[in-house]
Amino acid sequence: MRTSEVAKLPVVTFAGDDIAQVKDVVYAADGGAVAGFTLAGRGLLAGPLKQGLLWQRVHALGADAVMIRDDQALSGVDEVVAAAASADGQGRSGGGKVLGSRVLTDSGVDLGEVVDVVIEVGRPSGPDDASDEPCDVVGYEIAASESLAARRSNAAKGTKLLVPLPDQLAVSGEHLMVPAGAEGFVTDDLAGFGASVAEFRAQLASERTTPATIAPPAPTPAPTTAPTTAVPPTDQPADRPTEGELPT
Amino acid sequence: MRWTDVKGSKLVSTTTADTVGKVNGFLLDPASRRLVALQFKKTPQGKYARWGDLAGVGGDAVTIAETDKITDADDQLSGFVGKDHEVLKKRVLSTEGDELGKVRDIEFDPDTGTLQALVVDGNEVHASRLVGVGSWAVVVETD
Repeated sequence: MRTSEVAKLPVVTFAGDDIAQVKDVVYAADGGAVAGFTLAGRGLLAGPLKQGLLWQRVHALGADAVMIRDDQALSGVDEVVAAAASADGQGRSGGGKVLGSRVLTDSGVDLGEVVDVVIEVGRPSGPDDASDEPCDVVGYEIAASESLAARRSNAAKGTKLLVPLPDQLAVSGEHLMVPAGAEGFVTDDLAGFGASVAEFRAQLASERTTPATIAPPAPTPAPTTAPTTAVPPTDQPADRPTEGELPT
Repeated sequence: MRWTDVKGSKLVSTTTADTVGKVNGFLLDPASRRLVALQFKKTPQGKYARWGDLAGVGGDAVTIAETDKITDADDQLSGFVGKDHEVLKKRVLSTEGDELGKVRDIEFDPDTGTLQALVVDGNEVHASRLVGVGSWAVVVETD
């Protein structure tokens, strides 16, 4: 589901009371999972609450509500922010920093600007009230860049497309790095996106275990102009760009 | 028995055979899944009668032996009174956070007041799935 659909969802207890609503989605430090939510009061005039909701305390995230057992599930908003604090202390956790960032492949292609974040909700594992599975960030919805649109028959510049993400991400306030292979899995179909993500991640995993092919993507963002020594794996789409490589 | 078959029925005293009111609503305890009382209008005093104080809940009338058992909401009943505790027309959420529809009717045992099912947009949701009734929604266990 898209995180834009999560904002403003009511937070509802098992007793049926709407005790808050989602204000912002807070991402874990590496940007790969949802850490929790900041909350606002219900109603037009209600402001932000001092309480937040950690993902581990959520019973379920559905299409129409965030379900919690009771108001004990809420914790201080600073706890939620702390759960999101990144190792480098820069707190690149806010949804606002992801939205509007440019998605770059590690071969230096600008795929477009992030307009939404796609999450996959783990099914709560059992009768207990906490969801043990993480709420995985699986993709970005982007407004396609000119260079991406030029290589796709069904897209123009600005067309909204979905880019699958690897398990591990490199995120700065400026760029979001994805492996070049992600481009081959770009789709405009949210219903089939889960399969795209699974396929893409399976391909990345097999690349990691096959010595003859590409090394895992660099953990830090590289400037767009930097040359890369990456060699495209053989199963990449034929039209995959090679502009990242400098002539020798 | 369905609520829509009872709503609007007359309340008749079994001692005087007079009509003393009209059935207007019910109070539901979600924890015990029972209707604890019926709510009436046009009654001379009070608005509620506990299920145990009713003589019968039939298809054509609700009967009561002692009309002085019709009372105002006391401490025990007032916990089930009000919009937050109403189930009819309220949205239904599963514990997974998905909306299933709205409560259109309920099914109950007229002898005991035990809730048997919620009728949610044409589908019956068994009463054992009921988790809570609150200000926003009726919460039911996911199927």
